[in-house]
Amino acid sequence: MKIAVCIKRVPDSETRVKIAADGKSLDEAGVKFILNPYDEFAVEEALQRKEQAGSGEVVVIALGPAAAQETIRTALAMGADRGTLLQADRIPADGLAAATALAAELKGGGYDLILFGKMAIDDYNHQVGPMVAELLDLPCVTTVAHLEIEGGKGVAEREIEGGLEVVEFPLPAVLTTDKGLNEPRYPALKGIMAAKKKPLDVKPAALGAGRMEVVAMKPPPDRKEGKIVGEGGAAVAELVRLLREEAKVL
Amino acid sequence: MARGEGRGERFVPANYQPLLPTDRLVLKEGSEGAGDRMELDVLIVGAGPAGLACAIELAQLAQRDGTEVDIGVLEKAEALGEHSLSGAVVNPRAFRELFPDLKDADFPFRGPVKQERVCLLTGRRAFTLPTPPTMHNAGNYIASLSEIVRWLGERAAALGVNVFTGFPAASLLMDEQRVAGIRTAASGLDRDGRPLANYMAPNDLVAKVTVLAEGTRGALAQAWLDRQGVSSENPQLFALGVKEIWETKRPLDMIVHTLGWPLPADAFGGSFMYPLEPNLVALGLVVGLDYGEAGLDVHELFQRMKLHPLFRGYLEGGEMVEWGAKTIPEGGYYSVPARRSGDGVVILGDSAGLVDVPSLKGIHYAMQSGMFAARAILTSLKSDDTSAARLAEYDRLVNSSFIMKDLYRTRNMRLAFKDGFYVGGLKAAVMTATGGRIPGWKIAMARDADVPRRLTSRLRPGSVTPDGKLTFSKVDGVFKSGNATRDTIPVHLVVGRDVPLTAAEFYARMCPAGVYEVTQGTLRVNAPNCVDCKATDVLGPRWLPREGGSGPKYKRM
Amino acid sequence: MLAVLEQRDGALRKVSHEVVTGARRLADALGGSVDALLLAAGGVKGADQLGRFGADKVITLTNAAFGMYAPEGYARVIAERAATGGYRAVVFAASATGKDLAPRVAARLGCALAQDVTDVGVEAGAVVVTRPVYAGKALLTLKLAGTPALVSLRPNVFTPVERPRAGVVESAAVDGSAGRVVVQRIRAADAGALDVAEAPIVVSGGRGLKEPANFKVLEELAAAFAGRAAVGASRAVVDAGWRPHADQVGQTGKTVSPTLYVAVGISGAIQHLAGMRTSKVIVAINKDKDAPIFKVADYGIVGDLFEVVPKLTEEIKKLHG
Repeated sequence: MKIAVCIKRVPDSETRVKIAADGKSLDEAGVKFILNPYDEFAVEEALQRKEQAGSGEVVVIALGPAAAQETIRTALAMGADRGTLLQADRIPADGLAAATALAAELKGGGYDLILFGKMAIDDYNHQVGPMVAELLDLPCVTTVAHLEIEGGKGVAEREIEGGLEVVEFPLPAVLTTDKGLNEPRYPALKGIMAAKKKPLDVKPAALGAGRMEVVAMKPPPDRKEGKIVGEGGAAVAELVRLLREEAKVL
Repeated sequence: MARGEGRGERFVPANYQPLLPTDRLVLKEGSEGAGDRMELDVLIVGAGPAGLACAIELAQLAQRDGTEVDIGVLEKAEALGEHSLSGAVVNPRAFRELFPDLKDADFPFRGPVKQERVCLLTGRRAFTLPTPPTMHNAGNYIASLSEIVRWLGERAAALGVNVFTGFPAASLLMDEQRVAGIRTAASGLDRDGRPLANYMAPNDLVAKVTVLAEGTRGALAQAWLDRQGVSSENPQLFALGVKEIWETKRPLDMIVHTLGWPLPADAFGGSFMYPLEPNLVALGLVVGLDYGEAGLDVHELFQRMKLHPLFRGYLEGGEMVEWGAKTIPEGGYYSVPARRSGDGVVILGDSAGLVDVPSLKGIHYAMQSGMFAARAILTSLKSDDTSAARLAEYDRLVNSSFIMKDLYRTRNMRLAFKDGFYVGGLKAAVMTATGGRIPGWKIAMARDADVPRRLTSRLRPGSVTPDGKLTFSKVDGVFKSGNATRDTIPVHLVVGRDVPLTAAEFYARMCPAGVYEVTQGTLRVNAPNCVDCKATDVLGPRWLPREGGSGPKYKRM
Repeated sequence: MLAVLEQRDGALRKVSHEVVTGARRLADALGGSVDALLLAAGGVKGADQLGRFGADKVITLTNAAFGMYAPEGYARVIAERAATGGYRAVVFAASATGKDLAPRVAARLGCALAQDVTDVGVEAGAVVVTRPVYAGKALLTLKLAGTPALVSLRPNVFTPVERPRAGVVESAAVDGSAGRVVVQRIRAADAGALDVAEAPIVVSGGRGLKEPANFKVLEELAAAFAGRAAVGASRAVVDAGWRPHADQVGQTGKTVSPTLYVAVGISGAIQHLAGMRTSKVIVAINKDKDAPIFKVADYGIVGDLFEVVPKLTEEIKKLHG
């Protein structure tokens, strides 16, 4: 099975967000970068599918700055076979521009599956995967939490409000992975050593024109000062009134 | 109840402390249980300043010599620097020797020490004292150890050293008397020890020489010294430091050390406050673990300390951005093991007790010890002889160097304080004046765990309710240490059997991370809170290595 | 503006009102109209009410294959409509379906998409949006160039506002297949219980509950919300084995962002706050007036939870009649 996994280098979720001097981006001083956690499910799924099929190749592709090579090495240490970095110092805010670059790289690759994490934990954009699918004219299912593949067909389950959607699709296909799909493996020591020797090529990214511009990045507004409504059971009626009329949540 | 205890009597921590679990820390080479096996020339346990300096020096020497040496460094933290914590004010001499082509400006320091002050505190005031000769820091640099370690790590990697993060060494592998290598900890086990879907078996790494650079209270170093029967004139003593980093509104332009308040007279220690940047301040309180009162809580004392006008003046209106804790080996010269090398093994840095308490220095000794070890190791590799006799060259290099000279000069200074702050202060003054010649003989010390503590009837003397602005709870501190250890991890602490309430309460105060709690009259162990400071290993339940990546994620500590 | 709405089993989904509200806001700023679009197998109940929230026209496009969400079929039809209709903006809900559908439409149109926005507006004739990034630790303001501008709205943020317009209902049949990706069915989630991370209302308990059996009072409160509330737990009670780890809210548990979070007997350690601080409204009930949770709560009651919570349950039951 030939599988491509698109991954992203993102700031660690515990990062204390400081806004850079330009007022539009994250101040990266001291920030620890990791492989996007949702992409780990994608890499793991690719590795498992290849292992089940008995043969094949798992290719990892990242769009990002030169440092993203380290992120690709992490995926190689997990067991991917080779990696490609589409180098771009700034990842565009417009997901379609990123998708254009990735689609150009993936085209003609003959992949049975192209996997993405459902979203990146920095921008929460939730769009590059399905956009790539459209550009490549491939079927796509997003936020897959359970997956079965038999022959050239797949059945996926995805969480929607109040239930699970059961979806059928033919291969080749693009899938975006959600938490719970599998349990990503830790890279083994041997894997880390082997990763250093696996092929990793770097080429400039062919980004599409962006149609979205960052105007500003700001810290969230401080929550308004809360109030103690009262003491004991006597305060309940007032609390409910406030929740209904003021907060409008009931 | 054990001897000498009871309300109004004394509590002796050693009575409830399990023995070091050497049966888990030392395994026979070739024993079952490992998944993969890897062979290296030199295996270094711990990517702290000692371990990385050793790796860099070894790689540099090998390169110059035209020899190929396969070096691997194992680090239990998820990323370099995440378990590193120090004040710190660094003596640059080891950096200069390790990187002769670089200038001071190239090193990962924050800035030179410009001004310094030593103060004696009372509850409300601060009296400036003349700076003791041992504490002069002109020519030294303020730094973050986490940043130093990351910088050293990059240099090591550039030299071809394999640094593996997220891999704790859980046991030594021994072939009779020889250290053959180590076995890593398993990962992906649930709380009951059952494998989860992403379970990874331990790995065996074998090498011609194993370098133990585990830092303070290293588990494998302890086990090896114990097994080999290597002793020191005094047992090793420890202090616990709790530290925070603050973004402050008011700038700080000098380093400050304090003595006195809030420490009770029968506790040795003091505080430090250093500017990493004018508005980025590192401060902490360090207390010897032989404190007299069972209820002493270093974290809480530190929180109270911040309310003193001296500190409050800088911290008010600022934000606490990091919190952490670590023990420091304080025994000095007489607590350094008689030998720190053996068949196939050497012990570096804090694990060997190479810390000078009066000057609060350990980083440059750690690095220097790593460099000496590298030289001894290369010679032994080339002559294909990694026996104790050969590796003893490392001990000779350390013993004849400034490391042991410095430690010898201040050999009794910390020890004098076992009689309390005032008598100790007097003795220390005499020692300083006489260059250590009076008293010349060794002051005998007991292990921290053997020191009896007073149980007072007052539960919490003047405790502080954390306000979330200047003072913080232990649980909030642990959050700020970056600790996000998964809740379902197996418990890595070995608790004594039948721990009475007094011991449980003692542990609850002793641990800065709130691992131990007394709920409904029994001891609860919140193991995921652990930040690997090792205070527990000194006074209470024994600490064992756990799944890689667990524990704190210090950024600039 | 084109507002893409959602239906399930032939009935309008409530989030559709929010979509129309958002589209109306843009239309008013740009001086335009709102066409609400529904794809279904037949008529959609509730479609005739959309005028109330500002829809000028409500168009239902029917196709036997469109009863359930058909990703490729829907994307094709909507993209065609958007391209030929001269729309300035296309607005979706950032629901599970919307987040799947909007990128496909955007790629087909070659236009930019701002997902999961919390505010929309117009500046110098361009559509401008605000959206949270870095798990809500920062807010990004973006300007969309090109026409149409595509946005998906975060649910529970664009409170439906009455802005009555004509709401003329049209219906037409459309050709075409569902596409290669076929939704077979929707099945109920396992165990029936609402997941803490999905529920619009979360009632969480901590050590103040004193005993595992006492969680019953929280379960009763949750039940009073008629299926919209889940019971969460602090790390302390999960560690003690009182509640399963799946219910744990906090840094090492789940991060939740419900409309209403009720913290009962929870002190408010930072690691817990990290898991629920982006909740829209936070209520705290605790007998310790100095508990840190009160600093983060919008409303608080200081008192004995065993007295307060049952009363609250009663009042909520009354509301739901």
